[in-house]
Amino acid sequence: MYSPQLSYMPSTTSQAMTPGLSSFLKSLKSNPIDTSIENLISLLKRRQICHSRSCATATAHLLRSVVSLCRTSESAKLIERVQSVGRRLMAAQPREMVVGNIVRRVLGLIRDEAEDDREAEFALSESESQPQTPRAFDDASMPLDRDSLAMGTERSSRPPLTSMFSLLSHPEPEASLPSTPGSQSPNPIPANGPSSKDLRAEVLVGINEIIDELDQVDEQISTYALEHIHSNEIILTHTSSTTVQKFLLRAATKRKFTVIHAESYPNNHKVTHDTVSGNLPSDDDLLSFESFKKPLIAHGITVILIPDSAVFALMSRVNKVILGTHSVLANGGLVAAAGTRVIARAAKVHQTPVVVVSGVYKLSPVYPFDFDSLIEYGDASKVLPYEDGDLVDQIDVQNPLYDYVPAELVDLYITNLGGHAPSYLYRIVSDHYRKEDISF
Amino acid sequence: MATTTEGTAQAGVKPFDIVATYNELLRSDPDLTMPIAAIEALVLLLTHEPSSTISETLDLLEKSTAHLKKAIPNPIGLSAGTDLFQRYLITTLQRPGQLGPAGDFKAIRTHLLSNGRLFIRRAKESREKIVAFGRGFIRDGCTVLTNGGSRAVASLLQKAADEEGGPSAVRFNVIYVLSSISKNIEEPSGEPEGMETVRALRAKGVPVSTIPESAVAYALGKADMVIVGAEGVVENGGIVSRMGTYQIGLLAKAIGKPFYCVAESHKFVRLYPLGQYDLPIEQHVIEFRSEEDIAEQNKQSADTSADRPIELPLCDSVDFTPPHLISALITDSGVLTPSAVSEELIKIWF
Repeated sequence: MYSPQLSYMPSTTSQAMTPGLSSFLKSLKSNPIDTSIENLISLLKRRQICHSRSCATATAHLLRSVVSLCRTSESAKLIERVQSVGRRLMAAQPREMVVGNIVRRVLGLIRDEAEDDREAEFALSESESQPQTPRAFDDASMPLDRDSLAMGTERSSRPPLTSMFSLLSHPEPEASLPSTPGSQSPNPIPANGPSSKDLRAEVLVGINEIIDELDQVDEQISTYALEHIHSNEIILTHTSSTTVQKFLLRAATKRKFTVIHAESYPNNHKVTHDTVSGNLPSDDDLLSFESFKKPLIAHGITVILIPDSAVFALMSRVNKVILGTHSVLANGGLVAAAGTRVIARAAKVHQTPVVVVSGVYKLSPVYPFDFDSLIEYGDASKVLPYEDGDLVDQIDVQNPLYDYVPAELVDLYITNLGGHAPSYLYRIVSDHYRKEDISF
Repeated sequence: MATTTEGTAQAGVKPFDIVATYNELLRSDPDLTMPIAAIEALVLLLTHEPSSTISETLDLLEKSTAHLKKAIPNPIGLSAGTDLFQRYLITTLQRPGQLGPAGDFKAIRTHLLSNGRLFIRRAKESREKIVAFGRGFIRDGCTVLTNGGSRAVASLLQKAADEEGGPSAVRFNVIYVLSSISKNIEEPSGEPEGMETVRALRAKGVPVSTIPESAVAYALGKADMVIVGAEGVVENGGIVSRMGTYQIGLLAKAIGKPFYCVAESHKFVRLYPLGQYDLPIEQHVIEFRSEEDIAEQNKQSADTSADRPIELPLCDSVDFTPPHLISALITDSGVLTPSAVSEELIKIWF
């Protein structure tokens, strides 16, 4: 309904800004919500927002606006609205899995709050007769108990059960238990005003927490640095991942070690060079809110910049490989910058531990059925510039941006929640996402 | 055994034979899995035995379960069912709520007795859930290697083949590993297990190639993935499955192909085998014999075949595939990593 050209222009304030995360966040307040949605979709499609965290931040901010502007009091409608927006965002850039992750987390928030409300009501109605501890043999409470038991038939059958029990358990409505006739209270859960208004406020608080988490995630991860980096170790890393840089910087405040930095040509080498030398452009979109004060070398750390081709040769000297990632999948595998798999494989051959640092927001509940479809291909001119016109005509040039690294090549994940084995990630997935949201 | 007959004698009806019931259930419905048949048998047992107290019932269940396990040569699958049943009963009794500690044991009993059919239906539905989760694994142009006679695998493959009528169906190939040992003892040259699935798939237009077990290593190069079924999924995430699965797992690992296992979550069983020979089954796959031994055994079997422990016939023998060979378990509670199994089990036991 909105033409893309129209929506993409910042409507009122017409600064000469390159479209990106910061321009999007600025325009979010002034633009109508539908324009903002279109705006983000086109930004994602054009890859003008392309960093995992930028995508996550943009999605979280957009959903916060969506939720706060959604004038409904019912959780079901709110879920539907968030789902429809989420679907469009995910369709815009299916490989940017953090978008889906944030949408799922917001959906989970809404569901949790809705259920809490329902339970609170339920608890109120039953609190005097059904205490937590079994008081069943207390004579006085006995008749009351049975009463509320019958009354609560419908709602108390909400399964507090595990999936394995679901086979035997909670009777379906038609197979309902010894309900005394007339006991099925026909009144559905009353949609009373104040509590459902709270719902939206609670959800907004939850989304703000997600946004805070996104801001703090690197600091949180870096608190584990001293446990993993020891004095005089040789650490190998790859790409200019800010999470890794902060991790190393935190260790550098206390310890002296050596960093071997693979430059990750052709997609990330310029930024990597700048990271190593410490003259990062300050106006860079993805680094704007985390400009480092000093590079590693300023802390007296020896940094060795190497081409990617030298990784295997140097691996025998390396004590630990620390990698950043683009997204982490439920089976413990990860999608990271091209070249990561080579490094992980080389580390495996030399029995060097591989540590992946990643925020929990990058952890996706999606199971990678088809690894090839996860790989995105980028600008071929970075490999072979178009000035070599003759060659470009004759050669098929490919520039994959990502690698899929299988779980068995990773020894440890460090997230903002701590260190986890790859086989444990499923647990974090089930803690953060609701089962019903995994494929929506 | 004695106690069971005692109990029935007291009730004054025809003695209820749980073993016969279990076998009969399995025979009557080829779609029934062992754990579900065991649960059904226990439900039927409860209908026959009027027990009014909790401990009486639990005691009865325990005894009949032990009896059933002793009488069946391979009790791994069924013990998953009996454990689940027992745990369900105990947890429901402990949990406050509708069927809770209000002392309304009768309610639980009635629920269990009146819903026997429902459990079976749900168990079959769980296969459909597996299909929904597993659909993503089978893609256009891929080749799947499978073995054995797992109904879950069969339904997954068949669903992929006839998804929403002809054109939108997935086009994939199947390499079916057929066991050289016939399922039918009386007729050793009969068709091997899994031929039914092969025919069904071919009827749906899926190209199927059948290979002997000895050709697995040769054929794996042409396969994109291995999908197998399981009789039981043990605590560490490994699977107990038809003999030959372990070697396929080893080969798949060596060649670098993903190895998936399809199993309903009611097949999770609290067992921690340390290796092949640590399974609670009497099976004589490896038997060292000299000429003398054979002669002796012939003589013995001529005498009397009674009083020997029940052992698994060779065609029903199983092996244990350790978890590090398994890429993922496709279950009705989602696609799990092998380490997730222990958590599911802990949830019901503790």
